[in-house]
Amino acid sequence: MKRPIPLTMTVSLLILIVSLLVAETLTVKVQSTSLRNTPKFYAPAVQSLSAGEKVEKISAQGGWIQVRTSGGITGWVHSSAVEVPKFDLMATNKGLKTQASASEVALAGKGFNKQVEESYRAKHKDLSFAWVDRMLQIKIAAAQVEEFMKKGKLGEFGGGK
Amino acid sequence: MALVPVAFPAFLFLASCAAVQSGADILAGTGQISESDRQAIVKTSGAVSATFSQITEEQEYYIGRSVAALILAQYPAYDNAALNTYINTLGQAIVYSSDRPEIYAGYHFLVLDTEEVNALSAPGGFIFISKGLIRRCKNEEMLASILAHEVGHVCSKHGLQAIKKSRLVDAFRVIGTEAARRYGSEELAQLTTAFEGALGDVVETLVVRGYDRKYEHEADDLAVKFDVAVGYAPKGLTDFLQTMIGDSTTASGKGWFKTHPSAEQRMEKVKGKIAALSSVPAEASVRTKRFEQSVAKLK
Repeated sequence: MKRPIPLTMTVSLLILIVSLLVAETLTVKVQSTSLRNTPKFYAPAVQSLSAGEKVEKISAQGGWIQVRTSGGITGWVHSSAVEVPKFDLMATNKGLKTQASASEVALAGKGFNKQVEESYRAKHKDLSFAWVDRMLQIKIAAAQVEEFMKKGKLGEFGGGK
Repeated sequence: MALVPVAFPAFLFLASCAAVQSGADILAGTGQISESDRQAIVKTSGAVSATFSQITEEQEYYIGRSVAALILAQYPAYDNAALNTYINTLGQAIVYSSDRPEIYAGYHFLVLDTEEVNALSAPGGFIFISKGLIRRCKNEEMLASILAHEVGHVCSKHGLQAIKKSRLVDAFRVIGTEAARRYGSEELAQLTTAFEGALGDVVETLVVRGYDRKYEHEADDLAVKFDVAVGYAPKGLTDFLQTMIGDSTTASGKGWFKTHPSAEQRMEKVKGKIAALSSVPAEASVRTKRFEQSVAKLK
């Protein structure tokens, strides 16, 4: 004769299943990135995402993660652009906030930040940041890189491999 | 329950920061310690186990900006928009195939106006290559291999690993779990001192002492990996190292020669790495042609 499964075990199992099914929330950790319609850097951008924005993970492929924004738009982001919370069963029942407490997100803007750079520069007035800022202005669009790869027979455009 | 306060201090110093954090969270969650105790425990553990991996992307960017400014105080920038665009486009193609393509403010490349043979990468993706080094490249594969080696240093955060632990302990003590993002004068002074120290550590490693040899070999391995991933013939790296073996400027012991293991040593390891690959991309004349056109105006 079958014994009924104890209630506590059923509840624990349910909690475990639900916590495994709950979508992972990822946070953008780079200044800005694009949500792309296919998992490729030179795929058309659906929209841009900036640091601190939260997206929900749908699936993963290679180094890419398919996500959904709070506005319901889906697309792909590279895994290096987002903070992936470490899976921690102990923390799941306490929510995502706990998981992210020691993370990039919690430390955003803290420590060596703009204010510290300004303080450092005030002490070293002769140090020029002009070319550092010019470097940051050099922006190569993904389409330019794609064209470069195509013309140079690189990556998927290569025939010599 | 009475055991917890006795057992916890020992646990605190033995466990990793993450474990302490979750342990403190659990104790706070069950009401066994107060919120302020939890914060104090987390703050202490953070200082005890300070490592480069706890430096956030944003902090890495700010360290990198100042390191880049210090490099540019030693070597002038080469103001040639066409060449810098070519270097950045090639660099970006490598970045897309790297292990860490997205970093806080992206990767940026710049040619340095010096005949010294050198390539440097600051944390946060500020990568420099000297005119002298470009002149020694004969094709795009060689240039790609050097840039891939530098991207490898950034991917693996080798620059950040040069920062002495004491700077991080000092910085993390201030950062702690404070809510403030704008610091008071005392905290700001402490952070600025730690920041200055960190910059000194990185610049000395990049410019004077060089990375630990194991990091150079790791960056070579990554260069081969990224070359193949993007479609470049990885022999670009061995070809470049071969050029360096016979280079008369080696004797001057400046720049790259001072901060890198000998080309012979690197060559041997890289050849072994390439030989272990099942297939590698071949060189393409179309790339060599555009390389020659891009560097033709190098003055």
